Amino acid sequence: MTIIGTMATNNPPVIVLKDLRKRFGIGDAEHYALDGVDVRIDKGEFIAIMGPSGCGKTTLLNVLGLLDSDIEGTYKLDGIDVSTLGSIKRARIRSRQIGFIFQSFNLIPRLNVLENVALPLTYKGIPRLKRLKAASAMLGNFHLAEREYYMPHQLSGGQTQRVAIARALVNDPSIILADEPTGNLDSRSSHIIMEELSDLHQRGNTIIMVTHNPRLTTYASRVITMLDGKIDTDTDAKKPKKDTTKKRPLGKKSKTTKKRRAKKEKK
Amino acid sequence: MRFLLLNHIQNARDSLRSNRSRSMLTMFGVTIGVASITTILALSAGAAQIVQQQIDGLGGNVAVIRPGEKPASAFDQLTQLPVQQGYTASTLTNNDLRSIERIDGVSAIAPLMVLSGAVSGDSDAPKSTPIVATTPNLEQVNDLQVRDGQFLDPSLLGSTAVIGPQLSVDVFGTEASIGKTIAVKGKEFTIIGVLKRSNAPINFNGVDFDNAVIIDTKSLGSISQESPQIQQINVRVDTVANLNSVIVETNKALLRNHFGQADFTVLSGDEIAQPTGQIFAAIAGVTAAIAAISLLVGGIGIMNIMLVSVAERKREIGIRKAVGASNGDIVAQFLIEALALSIGGGVAGYLLGYFVAFGISIFLTFDPQFNFAIAGVALGVSIAIGTLFGLYPAIRAARKDPINALRQYE
Repeated sequence: MTIIGTMATNNPPVIVLKDLRKRFGIGDAEHYALDGVDVRIDKGEFIAIMGPSGCGKTTLLNVLGLLDSDIEGTYKLDGIDVSTLGSIKRARIRSRQIGFIFQSFNLIPRLNVLENVALPLTYKGIPRLKRLKAASAMLGNFHLAEREYYMPHQLSGGQTQRVAIARALVNDPSIILADEPTGNLDSRSSHIIMEELSDLHQRGNTIIMVTHNPRLTTYASRVITMLDGKIDTDTDAKKPKKDTTKKRPLGKKSKTTKKRRAKKEKK
Repeated sequence: MRFLLLNHIQNARDSLRSNRSRSMLTMFGVTIGVASITTILALSAGAAQIVQQQIDGLGGNVAVIRPGEKPASAFDQLTQLPVQQGYTASTLTNNDLRSIERIDGVSAIAPLMVLSGAVSGDSDAPKSTPIVATTPNLEQVNDLQVRDGQFLDPSLLGSTAVIGPQLSVDVFGTEASIGKTIAVKGKEFTIIGVLKRSNAPINFNGVDFDNAVIIDTKSLGSISQESPQIQQINVRVDTVANLNSVIVETNKALLRNHFGQADFTVLSGDEIAQPTGQIFAAIAGVTAAIAAISLLVGGIGIMNIMLVSVAERKREIGIRKAVGASNGDIVAQFLIEALALSIGGGVAGYLLGYFVAFGISIFLTFDPQFNFAIAGVALGVSIAIGTLFGLYPAIRAARKDPINALRQYE
């Protein structure tokens, strides 16, 4: 399979996947959740990965996040082949280069908001006071400064996800991996979260987002759809207009979008 | 290198606090184990100390000769039947006494012959009252303190006895019993002295002088059918420097007397206390083994709770790994949590152990001993238990697959 549809940028590739396969099960039960994925992702892209359940989206994300290292094929992250990395080095890369955002937020319930956000810095070896200050500053960016000492269960879903995003960003990662970040949120909160992500993208972060919700692809700069462990389509979305006043309210689609979507669904 | 120890400790504190009662109960298991070990060690150290103190008090220039071969170990002493020890005829003879007396450097010598038999005064003495036949030299050799009257004296006529203060109280109802007569195995003795209370039932003579009646070997014939058994000969040497030469000479003289048979033992200094000390050590060892079982149970409790904790915090482990924790970080986190449980329990156990030891010592004649070795053992045992039983859950935690751990809707 050839590398298809990269954004025409001069940015260096952050992620290069060549014939990536991930096998589950043995013998008769063997099947490939990822079955030959070739992708090149450049710095500063906002990628939405779409596809039906079980097509390997989350598996791909886990592989990209170095949580799953039992793979075939090559995965180069910042030019380094990850198969050469040991578990300690992989942990270090997760700590320094990758930020995770989950559908179910995954804050540690025992720790307060501030400590949750500071958690990634802990594993970077930053002293407590320094990391709490950094976490506090990050929460300020998300307008959560007043919620610093709340426990996660005291926050609304949208707030919790914003805390989770703050946590993902606090160690200044080069890639943000988001697994259905709005899956557990209502449309209003979803909108806010997507605005945040879009804002991050504007500031030069690379974001890879898995989603079921086709509406959210409007925020992305590139949409990859997957099917049966393979990349089905890979299209550059038209560059989202950054003029927020022009944004359509969620739920209303233009005719062209509707047509395009209908076409896609027929496929 | 990242230094996360402080962080792990904070973490352990937080997580143990969030399950306060569970943590307390787990700690309590270790507390009981460490408390029993501390109690045993403190008391046995106290007991061993007593014998040692008595020898030290004698100035280090006392040698003791006992019949029979030197027991190979404390274990042998324990396994030997007391009946056998008690009924074997002594190999020490009056001839030996005379030979030792002649050795240069010996300043005084006293044989100890302990008999059992009925003792009565105004009322009957307790059945186990020891009757000690010795020579007047015992006062000097053993440094015995007389409270009232005087010790045995060769110049005194008739049958005389010195009794211990407790025996005096038991038999006459008072410590002032000088001049009264006491019947030993049916024969009457006049009391010429009462010893000062020593409160030392455990000593190298094997006799509690507080309860004993002491008579002269000369008057022994009438009550012991002419078969005195010398259980021990105490030898006092004029200076410490001469002790070794006296021991060598004594060995030579006795070997000659016994036709080359080494059926006696000459002991000095620490060796005198050793058998007693060793017996205490052996008893302590056996009891400590039992205490170790309770520690084992405490350790299993820790492992159990840690496994539960790992299972409960699967997601937390996944999150921590996702944000950059290495396997080593996770192992350290859970291991330190287990150590916090065991050390916390250990410290509480150490304190509780001394409470119990002091409680028990009310009924004993010696006090528990404080020393760094016991504190070290308590701490070492706690750390060992925490590491031993915390490592497996910690490794299991680290091996948790972060993908599974983070799976949604679980």
